[in-house]
Amino acid sequence: MSQGGAIDIIKRNGRRPSEAFELEKLHKSIMAALLSARTAPGQAESVARAVTRDVSEWLASRPEVTSEDLRRVAARHLKNHHPDAAYLYEQHRITL
Amino acid sequence: MDIPSSLAIVTLAALIHASFQLSVSVLTLLSGHAIGAKQSSAKVTRLTFGFVVGAGVMTLLGLSFISLVFLHLFGTNAPALAWAIACGLLIGVGLAVWFFYYRRDGAGTSLWIPRAMARHLSERSKATVHSAEAFSLGLTSVISELLFIAAPMIISALVLLQLPGAWQLLGIAIYAIVSILPLFGVWVLIGSGHKLSDIQKWRESNKRFLQFSAGGALAILGFFVYVCKILTDVTGAA
Repeated sequence: MSQGGAIDIIKRNGRRPSEAFELEKLHKSIMAALLSARTAPGQAESVARAVTRDVSEWLASRPEVTSEDLRRVAARHLKNHHPDAAYLYEQHRITL
Repeated sequence: MDIPSSLAIVTLAALIHASFQLSVSVLTLLSGHAIGAKQSSAKVTRLTFGFVVGAGVMTLLGLSFISLVFLHLFGTNAPALAWAIACGLLIGVGLAVWFFYYRRDGAGTSLWIPRAMARHLSERSKATVHSAEAFSLGLTSVISELLFIAAPMIISALVLLQLPGAWQLLGIAIYAIVSILPLFGVWVLIGSGHKLSDIQKWRESNKRFLQFSAGGALAILGFFVYVCKILTDVTGAA
């Protein structure tokens, strides 16, 4: 999997320093949400790849995005494939 | 106060404790991370069970510790002032729960606890891979919840002090068991293959009811104990 372009991710509230976008990190977090929703590993892999590709296309014209925007867009694309996993993906930061 | 009334108060206090959501949130996160990390279902069951046992043990130790401190301070009969403070605390925490328990950001089940503490628990739930770590996370989550559970624990300790030794042990056991019932329920649901998203959706859609019932029950318990113990003692009624 490619590592994405030179896109800066501005962390929540701008309190932490921004970091470079990592495609692998996004893929891993989507995979985790899919597996948490008890999706079969093979299906989870293909959905995660599709969502990562969609998010990469959205990112292509943007030099920097906030982590909230990235998460929101990833959740929106994930919802098209697996609503339960998208729900868990969205809830992860607001469970506690 | 007779034994059945005392045990009823301890049970209600434990039910209020059980309705608080921090430990359930941590357990949900822990199981989500474990399943997401492709752990086997046996491993997920062991981790979540370790967490539930940890929470139970800390509850047991917490209530025993508070009871021991009160026993040293007051003997078996606490003064009316201690009861009045405990009742005031119950009512005060009840009102605070009504207004401040969940963060007002809207979605999710975020609690009004320091964000650094929430981040620490969230990161620890992600890093937990051994049952012993899950056990200590269970201990920590109960400590993190002390702000809310101190009031029901204090009133239970005051009630238990008046009972004979064997009944005290039974009371502590009842409190610990009842307080971890929701955690046990979530553990059973996760172990039996239920979807985490369903559990979290239920928690999210019922959070206002849980908040209202926990706050209301705290206030009612405080008022009940005030009438049952303080007013009865002052007026000399049986």
